[in-house]
Amino acid sequence: MGTPRNGPWLKWLLGGVAVGVVLFGVLAYAMTATDQRPFCASCHIMQEAAVTHKLGTHADRSCNECHAPHNLLAKLPFKAQAGLSDFMGNLSGKDVPYPASVTTRDVVNENCKACHAQTNVNVASMNAKPYCVDCHRNVAHMRHKPISTRTVAYE
Amino acid sequence: MNKHICSMALAVSALLGAALLSGCNDVSTELKAPTYKTNIKADETRMSAFKAEFPDQYASYQKNNESEVMTDYKGSIAYHKNDNVNPLPKGFKHAQPYLKNLWLGYPFMYEYNETRGHTHAVEDFVNIDRLNRYGADGKGLMPATCWNCKTPKMMTWIKQYGNDFWSKDVNEFRGKDKIDAKEESISCSTCHDPQTMELRLYSEPLQDWLKRTNQDWNKLSRNEKRTLVCAQCHVEYYFTHPDNGPKLRPVFPWDNGFNPEDMYQYYKGHGKKDANGKPGPFADFVHAASKVPVIKMQHPDFETFQDGPHGAAGVSCADCHMPYQRVDGKKMSSHWMTSPMKDKEMRACRQCHADKTPEYLRQRVIYTQQKTFDQLLKAEALSVKAHEAVRLANSYDGERAADYDALMTEAREMVRKGQLFWDYVSAENSVGFHNPAKALDTLMTSMECSQKAVDLAGQATHYGIAPALAGDIEKIVPPILEMSRKLQQDPEFLQKNPWTKLLPVLPKADQVWDGQERLTSTK
Repeated sequence: MGTPRNGPWLKWLLGGVAVGVVLFGVLAYAMTATDQRPFCASCHIMQEAAVTHKLGTHADRSCNECHAPHNLLAKLPFKAQAGLSDFMGNLSGKDVPYPASVTTRDVVNENCKACHAQTNVNVASMNAKPYCVDCHRNVAHMRHKPISTRTVAYE
Repeated sequence: MNKHICSMALAVSALLGAALLSGCNDVSTELKAPTYKTNIKADETRMSAFKAEFPDQYASYQKNNESEVMTDYKGSIAYHKNDNVNPLPKGFKHAQPYLKNLWLGYPFMYEYNETRGHTHAVEDFVNIDRLNRYGADGKGLMPATCWNCKTPKMMTWIKQYGNDFWSKDVNEFRGKDKIDAKEESISCSTCHDPQTMELRLYSEPLQDWLKRTNQDWNKLSRNEKRTLVCAQCHVEYYFTHPDNGPKLRPVFPWDNGFNPEDMYQYYKGHGKKDANGKPGPFADFVHAASKVPVIKMQHPDFETFQDGPHGAAGVSCADCHMPYQRVDGKKMSSHWMTSPMKDKEMRACRQCHADKTPEYLRQRVIYTQQKTFDQLLKAEALSVKAHEAVRLANSYDGERAADYDALMTEAREMVRKGQLFWDYVSAENSVGFHNPAKALDTLMTSMECSQKAVDLAGQATHYGIAPALAGDIEKIVPPILEMSRKLQQDPEFLQKNPWTKLLPVLPKADQVWDGQERLTSTK
C-alpha cells in the first residue's frame, strides 16, 4: 500500500529544510556582518582602531580577518566569548586594553601567516621575533603616528 | 498594563534599530573634534567661569595643584635649582650648584626654582625674589612684559594699553585689585576660545612670529596646534630694545632657526643701534665678574623638541603631556600638564609604545637624562672657569700680549657663546629627553667655547693668569649657595665669597611687597 506521495511528513521535511536554509543564511550573514568594521565601530571606544584600519593597507579586509580564528569551529566560540567580554567591558567603562592580550596577539599573528605564508616560505621570519608586527609595527593600527592622526575626544 | 508592555516593546525595538543603524555606518576618517557653543563671554579670563560647562576638564586641570611629587630629575617641588646641599623642599640631589655664579649681576642670581603646575603660575610669580620687593616706590625693576606668560589677563591689558603696556613696571599689576592669583593664572582662555572652545592663541609674540613667517593659524593642522598652544610660552624669548621697536615687547628669536647656533648668530644683532643706525649685539646683562655681555636662555622647550626624535616625527606636546583618558565613560584630554614620568604605568607613552613595559620606557628616558645632567654640570663648571679667566685677564698687571685687545674680544665672545649653549640645555625642562643628540652636542660645543675662552685669556696675558686658574675650580670660585636681594644689603655677607665680593651693596631697605600685599603705604 505504501505512503502517499504528498503526505504531511514531506511538507514538514521541505518546510524544515526551507527554514533551515533561511536560518543558516541569516546566521551566515550575521556572522559576516559582525566581523566587519561598521559593526565593531558601533561602540565609540573602537573608533581609533576603526579609523586607523580604514586608513591602513588592510582597509578592505574585515576586522575579524585578523582578530578571530579563521577555522569556523574555533571562530564561533571565540567570537561569542570576545563579544560578550567587550560588551560587558564597555558597559562598565573599561578602556580598550593596551597592549592587546596574549590570546589576541597569537590569533592575529596566525592570521598574518595565513595570508602571507608564500612571502615567507623561504625565510626563517618567525624565528627572531615572536610576532610579525614586531617588525611591521604600523600594521598594529598605525600606533607610531601622532595621536591627532588617530583619534579625537568625544563626549 | 498593556500600555506599559507596548512602550517597553517600542523602547526595545528603538534600541535595536539604533544599534543596527549604527552598526551599518562605516567610520569617518575625518576625525572631527567635538564642537561646542558655550554660554561663556568671549573675553572671559577667569578659570571658574568654565567649571559648570566643562567639569571633567576643570577637575583634571585642578590636578596641577599637586606640588609634592619628584621624579629622578624633575618634578613639582619648587626647590632652589642651585641648591644640592639642603634636603627637599629647599634643595635637591640633582641641582646645578654654579647657577648663581653664572648669573652674577642678573636677577636670576636671587632666585630660580623648579617649576610647578600652571595653577601656581601667578602665585609663584609674586613670590619670586627676581622681582624687586624692596623699593620704597613699590617698583619691581622689571617690565610688565614679565606677566606675558603668566595670565590670560594679558588680553585685557594689551587691549587697554597697547604697546605702552610692556614697559610699565611689573608691580603696577601685582595687587589683588589688578589680578586674582588663583582665578586668572594660566588656564582655559590661555589656549581656548571661550565661546567655541577651539584651540586659539592669546600670545602676542607667537602671533608676531606666525605673521613674520606667513603662517595662518586657521590653516594650520590640529596636530600643529597641539604643539603651538604650548609654544606660546615654553620658548626662549627676549625683550625688544627701544632702538628696534616697541620698548620691551617680547620677541621669539627664531628668524635664523631654532638651534643654539642660530640664536647665537641672531643675537649678534637686535641690540642698541650704533651711530650708523646698525643694531649692535644684544645683551641681557653684563656678568658682574667677567664683565662679559651675556645672553640668557629661557625654557626653549619648543625649539629643542621640534627637531628631536619625537618632534620631527610630528608628535605633539599634547600627545605626551595631555594623553587621552576615559572619565565617566567619556574620552577626554588629560589637562594635568606635568612630568609624564610621574605615572607608574607610563600610559601616555604606551599609546604608541604599546609593546614596551613602563620600566623599560622609564629607563630609556633616564638613559638620556643622566648623561645630559652629568655633562651639563661639567659645562657649567668650565663656564665658571672661563668667566674667572677673563676676569683675571681684565685686570692683569703683568706683561700683556701684543694683540691683547683682539684676544680678549674673542675670549669674551667665547664666554658668551659657551654660556648661551649650556643655558639652552640647562633652561630646557626635559634634561635632554626632548632631543638627546642636540642636548649632548650643544653641551660639548659649550665646553669647547668655554675652554677656548680660557685659552685666549691665558694667551692674552702670556699665561700670567695660569697659576691662579690651576687646580679645582670649586676651590678657586666656590659655588654661591645663598644669595637674595635681602642678603645683598649686607656688606659682611658679600665678603664671604670671592665673587659676591664683586657685587655692589644694595641700600638697606625693608620689604615692601609680600606676595600681592603692599606692606607699606604708597608714598
